Amino acid sequence: MVVKATHEADALTPRYMAWYRFTRNPTAIIGALMVLSVVALAVFAPLFAPYPEHAGAAVNFRARHAAPDLTYWLGTDKVGRDIFTRVIYGFRISLLLVVGVLAVAVPLGAALGLLAGYFGGWTERLITGLTNVMLAIPPLVMALAVGNVLEPNLVNAMIAITLLWWTWHARLVYRVSKSVAAEDFVEASRLAGASHWHVLTREILPNCISVISVKTTLDAAFVILFGATLSFLGLGVKPPTPDLGSMVADGRQFLPEMWWGVLAPGFAIFYATLGFNLLGDGLRDMFDVEV
Amino acid sequence: MQENYLYTFTKRIVGFVGVLFVLSLMIFVLARVVPGDPARIALGPSASQEQVGAMRQAMGLDRPLMEQYATYVWNALHGDLGRSLISGRPVTTEIAALLPATLELVIVTVIMMAAIAIPLGVTTARYRNTWIDNTGRFFSIVGVTMPSFLFAILLQLFAAYFLTDWPIIGRIDHTLAPPTGPTGLLLVDSLAHGRFDVFVDAFQRILFPALALAMSGIGQITRITRSAMIENQRRDHVLTLQSFGVPDRVIVFRYLLKLSSIAPLTIMGLEFASLIGNAFVVELVFSWGGFASYGLSAILQKDLNAVMGVVLLSGLFFIVANILIDIILLVLDPRLRLKEAR
Repeated sequence: MVVKATHEADALTPRYMAWYRFTRNPTAIIGALMVLSVVALAVFAPLFAPYPEHAGAAVNFRARHAAPDLTYWLGTDKVGRDIFTRVIYGFRISLLLVVGVLAVAVPLGAALGLLAGYFGGWTERLITGLTNVMLAIPPLVMALAVGNVLEPNLVNAMIAITLLWWTWHARLVYRVSKSVAAEDFVEASRLAGASHWHVLTREILPNCISVISVKTTLDAAFVILFGATLSFLGLGVKPPTPDLGSMVADGRQFLPEMWWGVLAPGFAIFYATLGFNLLGDGLRDMFDVEV
Repeated sequence: MQENYLYTFTKRIVGFVGVLFVLSLMIFVLARVVPGDPARIALGPSASQEQVGAMRQAMGLDRPLMEQYATYVWNALHGDLGRSLISGRPVTTEIAALLPATLELVIVTVIMMAAIAIPLGVTTARYRNTWIDNTGRFFSIVGVTMPSFLFAILLQLFAAYFLTDWPIIGRIDHTLAPPTGPTGLLLVDSLAHGRFDVFVDAFQRILFPALALAMSGIGQITRITRSAMIENQRRDHVLTLQSFGVPDRVIVFRYLLKLSSIAPLTIMGLEFASLIGNAFVVELVFSWGGFASYGLSAILQKDLNAVMGVVLLSGLFFIVANILIDIILLVLDPRLRLKEAR
């Protein structure tokens, strides 16, 4: 199909083309809607949750292990709490984890990557060396070791994940900034008297934004997955906090009869990670970058 | 660039040793700065202060940190990782007893990954943008995004409801006396001793855990094989073969596949890190009783020596796997060998 605005000179800007690609990509739109729904449920949890009081340490023994029906859409757990409510609040915890980890890991990794790519020499060798070492450590094993040292809770899970996560961003931004730093306009800017700070933040960083945003979206999925795995193993968020991973671990004791106790939180995790992944893939096609 | 392959290879191995070194240092420091006295953990809460003091001396905890680390590295190089604080037995012995179970699981997983992902990648590339391709892509994104514990539990549920005779817990039936064989791998030992009943049982039990463990890798590798196949289809030598009228089947299997397996193999090496991580989850779900379950219980009991052993060994696992893949790549890719000869 031909873009209808071809004769208008400014209609085919890269930004317009990118938006065009994004809106014509059904999986990207589905991913965006899935992410939006997760974020909306998490932010307005008290509005959507049918039994907000079940998010904490409440008990409701009269309805324990109730199968999914019209009263309890996704059934109830071993003390009768509504699983649908706890899944919604679980999204809150997952997104909190995502924000907590990425708010530190992305700027840190990006800054180190920028420095390594721009300055080269010893800075480059030191930072890439450190990154390569960190990348060779099995992430879960490292998180387990940190979990062994610190008490398992939400904040420490964040610390353990952040410790490992910055490396991926450092590596990615390094690749881009190294190639951008060799461009003429960077040199021109330096010749015109611009400071290193100006060149880094105004000339190089804008060129890395698309890569960073794609990677961050894909990362959100993996942080959710990782946090859920940690708490499934009993090393992340502890009950009665409604975490999706520990809900699965809890429900596993009552298999195979009470399948909803595992499948509801399990598929909730899957829904969130799938959404972020589809959205990230869509953004990758939109910006046409390699991540 | 005058970088020959032998040089790159040595550089990588040196890098790997560096990784192990930094990893051990990090774990060591973490383990020593934590609140909680290893000697106290080993003796339990009822021990007297003098007993703990004597234990600290016996464990060398009263000496400077650097000296402790040097001793640890020296002993580790000689295969001594200290004693478990809980059982009091040497960590090396305990791990060695459980290692074959995990090794068997990992080997079957890797075979499964290659056996499913590469044909799937080839097929989806061959029938690009058809329903076959779309289904394959759907499965690979599910593989990447689904938590491995969810998939493992789904497999168990499936067996519980539809395959009621299928064993889903443990490595071998307790009523069967498995042969203690040369390798410790049940699948190999049972065949070596001609015990087909053991083989069948062990084979049934390993299928689901291996599939659960392989899933995320299958998703990743299918994707990469597909894009490598598509990219290489446009290469000059492939087009030449086509114009000579060489059958498609020969082009795909003799020429394209070899060329296109380089990228997925490299990824498989990196995948190993998450494979080891997921092994913790899968072993827990299937009560596999391997090295990863040992690590998990060590962490929960704060058994520092055992945790350090497990972490170091996972690092070693990752490194050995990557070196093996480097060697396979050297066999597959003549360009690398040519570089070496030059």
